[in-house]
Amino acid sequence: MTAEQVLDLLRSAVVTVLEVDGASLGRGTRFVDDLQADSLALVEIVEIVEEDLTRAQPGFRIADEDLDRLLTLGDAVDYAVARLR
Amino acid sequence: MRVALDLLGGDHAPDAVIDGALLAVDRDPALEVILVGPPDVAGALLAARGATLAVVPASESVAMDEHPVRGVRSKGDATVRTIHRLVLEGAADAAVSVGPTGAVLAAAVLTLGRLTSRPAVAVVVPTAGGPVVLLDAGATSEGTPEQLVAFAVLGTAYAEILGVRQPRVGLLNVGAERGKGDQLRKDAFALLEQAPVRFVGNVEGHDVPHGGPADVVVTDGFTGNVLLKGVEAASARSDLPRSALLLGVAGISVVGHGAARAEDVAACVLHAADLARQGLLPRLREVLGTRLEAS
Repeated sequence: MTAEQVLDLLRSAVVTVLEVDGASLGRGTRFVDDLQADSLALVEIVEIVEEDLTRAQPGFRIADEDLDRLLTLGDAVDYAVARLR
Repeated sequence: MRVALDLLGGDHAPDAVIDGALLAVDRDPALEVILVGPPDVAGALLAARGATLAVVPASESVAMDEHPVRGVRSKGDATVRTIHRLVLEGAADAAVSVGPTGAVLAAAVLTLGRLTSRPAVAVVVPTAGGPVVLLDAGATSEGTPEQLVAFAVLGTAYAEILGVRQPRVGLLNVGAERGKGDQLRKDAFALLEQAPVRFVGNVEGHDVPHGGPADVVVTDGFTGNVLLKGVEAASARSDLPRSALLLGVAGISVVGHGAARAEDVAACVLHAADLARQGLLPRLREVLGTRLEAS
């Protein structure tokens, strides 16, 4: 799965949870500072993305201890791509 | 009606939970309570009381001092998650917990999903003038003006289901006059004037227990929770609510005080069963759909 495909999945999850305009979302968009996502919204987004990526790689999961380091959409995309074989 | 009940939630669990479950089924013979918790714990407590209830296994609980969202995410086998999974799968009509509200909310949202952008804790306070729906009474500590508008739409839909015709919406504030309050209240006031609800302006704390100017009172969860607990502590009334609805999640989820005793747990269970019997969820979807289309 390419970084662009992961970004599309992530963008779709963000739009679903936060009801924002997908066209405004780029790699540099910050979850908290730009989108005002709270901890529950962040985990909702994470669980949607995990479910999507599990189809590509069974058991795919973002480690809880890594969540705090994923500040932007780009951070999350890079994290996922690095762990997808 | 089948209600999935969190056996491990609350300060007095599991005894108060199981006693509350038995009180509820005694009062409503058509009710089926499904205990969700460790089968050995449930089995021993039921045997000691000579009672039988269905038990669905779940072994973990989210502690009061634990981060609610992280706790729910890391504990897939948590009781708060399992009660909502049973609702999602159609094995229960409603979920009830007197565990930490934040954890119940997180489990409800992550398992059932949302009906609207921001769920709220909704409490129905009976008054001489009819019920007053107060929300948010504790789901989200920091509100935004847009969230208060969403609460107004949700609360209006709920009040209509409770039988209030053309519910009046008030914004909880420190005075009734326009221009009162902090920036959140001022911004919310301006948005509420344009919202598809019957906004009647600012109301004050005493308007919740006394009723009067508004049928729906909206505020942020921090202020709403402080007000509710103050009203409870200062009032000798016995008709104050013992349970609250998580309004805005895609299923019926009822929460109670962490300090709930058996009578309180029973009230939560009976409340959840009543809401399911009234067809709350399809009616809420219908009313919300109409209102959101109008916005």
